[in-house]
Amino acid sequence: MLSFLIRRLNLLLITAFILTILAFAIDRTILIHHQTQPIVQQDYILQYFSYLWQIFSADLGHSALDQQPLLQRGLTFFASTLELCFVALLFSCIIAIPLGLLAGLFRNTKLDYAIMTVAIIGLALPVFWVGVMAVLLPSVWGDILPVDGNMSLVYDIPVVTGFLLIDTLFVTPQYGLFAFFDRVAHLILPAAVLSFFLIAEIVRLTRHSMTMVMRSNYIQTAYAKGFSRTKIVFKHALNNALPPIIPQLRLQLSTILSFAMTIEIVFNLNGIGTWLFNSLKTGDYHALPAGMLIITGFILMFSIAIEITMVIISPIRRGSLYADK
Amino acid sequence: MLINNGFNEDKIQSPLRYIWSIFKSKSIAVVAMWVIVFLVLVSLFASWLVPHSPLLQDPNKMLLPPYWVDGGSIDHVLGTDDLGRDTLSRLFHGIQYTLGGALLITLFVSIIGMTIGAGAALTKGLKASVLHHLLDALLAIPSLLSALILITFFGPSYINCLFAIALSLLPQFIRASYLAIEQELNKQYIVALQLDGAAKTRLFKYGILPNILEPTITILNRLFTMAIIEIATLGFLGFGAQLPQTELGSLIANNMELIYLSPWLVAFPGLAIFITIIIVNVFAEGLRHAVIEGEE
Repeated sequence: MLSFLIRRLNLLLITAFILTILAFAIDRTILIHHQTQPIVQQDYILQYFSYLWQIFSADLGHSALDQQPLLQRGLTFFASTLELCFVALLFSCIIAIPLGLLAGLFRNTKLDYAIMTVAIIGLALPVFWVGVMAVLLPSVWGDILPVDGNMSLVYDIPVVTGFLLIDTLFVTPQYGLFAFFDRVAHLILPAAVLSFFLIAEIVRLTRHSMTMVMRSNYIQTAYAKGFSRTKIVFKHALNNALPPIIPQLRLQLSTILSFAMTIEIVFNLNGIGTWLFNSLKTGDYHALPAGMLIITGFILMFSIAIEITMVIISPIRRGSLYADK
Repeated sequence: MLINNGFNEDKIQSPLRYIWSIFKSKSIAVVAMWVIVFLVLVSLFASWLVPHSPLLQDPNKMLLPPYWVDGGSIDHVLGTDDLGRDTLSRLFHGIQYTLGGALLITLFVSIIGMTIGAGAALTKGLKASVLHHLLDALLAIPSLLSALILITFFGPSYINCLFAIALSLLPQFIRASYLAIEQELNKQYIVALQLDGAAKTRLFKYGILPNILEPTITILNRLFTMAIIEIATLGFLGFGAQLPQTELGSLIANNMELIYLSPWLVAFPGLAIFITIIIVNVFAEGLRHAVIEGEE
């Protein structure tokens, strides 16, 4: 276990090193292109180390627009992006996993074709267009759900964790649960739009995984023993079909994030996508390396965490513990 | 292999021909294929096919609805925008930018990505490990972000947007093709070829390439879908095609303020993107099933 952990962390370090070099390169190119700050004549390697020191001391400079520290601003915005992704993921898992399992169980039947058609439609709908169409909804159905911003402006929520769903719970003495419900209402439509893509992905992955499991020898053995189909599915197939979906979905994480960023811009949510977009439009280019470091840092940490969890929960994956021996 | 050509009926069908004969029996996929051919032809010859120039303004016919709605005119089948420009012509030109760009990106990325992926899978040691870590790092950057970074440096334009999307989709493609080849390498017939002393290129050409057809179709399909969505997204955000160019995403963005007056102007470009992607997906799915059936 220890050698596995060390190997993973080693990978993490090398990848993080490459990413900091990339961020440094972007930062310096911006400096030279746009001359935002006076250029210090110095060795690039020394400059890189001082940049690295800045990253470690959690200081990525200040925004040229509002003089706020970039890292703290970026993290707050990123938390709201994550919130959106998480709610969408929850939403789509509830819908997509049963559908995928059904499609995998009844492969090549009418039910399977119907589910897969829905999945292909979900994949083919351009996210930003669905967003634009969803913004139109209030004019059709009346003001049921809000389509602009993170929260109603009447609530004054102090930033504690950055996750507004949690932060609104801290202000219950002031507003009761109204702030929380307001946040939930603001999240529903963007999360629903994001989950179009997610549902399509998860249905596809679940179906594939379920088909593979149902074809495998141990399921055939279970059939031969005379177990009923329900018992086989619930006791043997589900346990083996669900875990492989997680690492597959992890590979899609960067796609999901980039869709979430687009949706934020369409719905005018205060997330990292809107932040980067507005910063670039107004010429505050130093937000770019900061945003990149935040997003990629999260994706790296998350990937490693998922891999370690997978080794703990899934016996098949445990083989990679001894990969090099 | 010796094939006796004296008796024609004994001739063994080539695998590709066999796959084609299976594919032909899937009517939906064949229809999808012809629609793709139609779309590609439309995007190639858009300037000659459309009834009006996409930039021709007509002050007498502003914001016309499609012809089947009251007040529409058959002269402008899908209506006109706020300057009286014909929506159908603009859509055809939009498909030219979006579909054509996506095809170019797919071609470029698949050739380069396949080469690098195969190189990484077939070599071992330092080269493969350096590539691996570099890919891990690049994969952690969402494609929208890397497109934003590249566009910040090179300025927003349609060509730069194509470059940015190609570069951001390249790592994903390399990783996917690498995984496909890696899985193939463990199979026994590849080991047999290696024991025969086959060189790396021969191993790839005759051992691996015919057997990774099915995963390749899946990744190509995915690459193409993502390319279309991303071209449209960047166009929508204003980082892609610039104003006189009628890219589908930028059409949506330009017509956003007219969305309450004439929702058609936003709906049609989105539907065009949607239909293009769905047709390609149906085609690829049919092809994939034909390959699987052909292999079995």
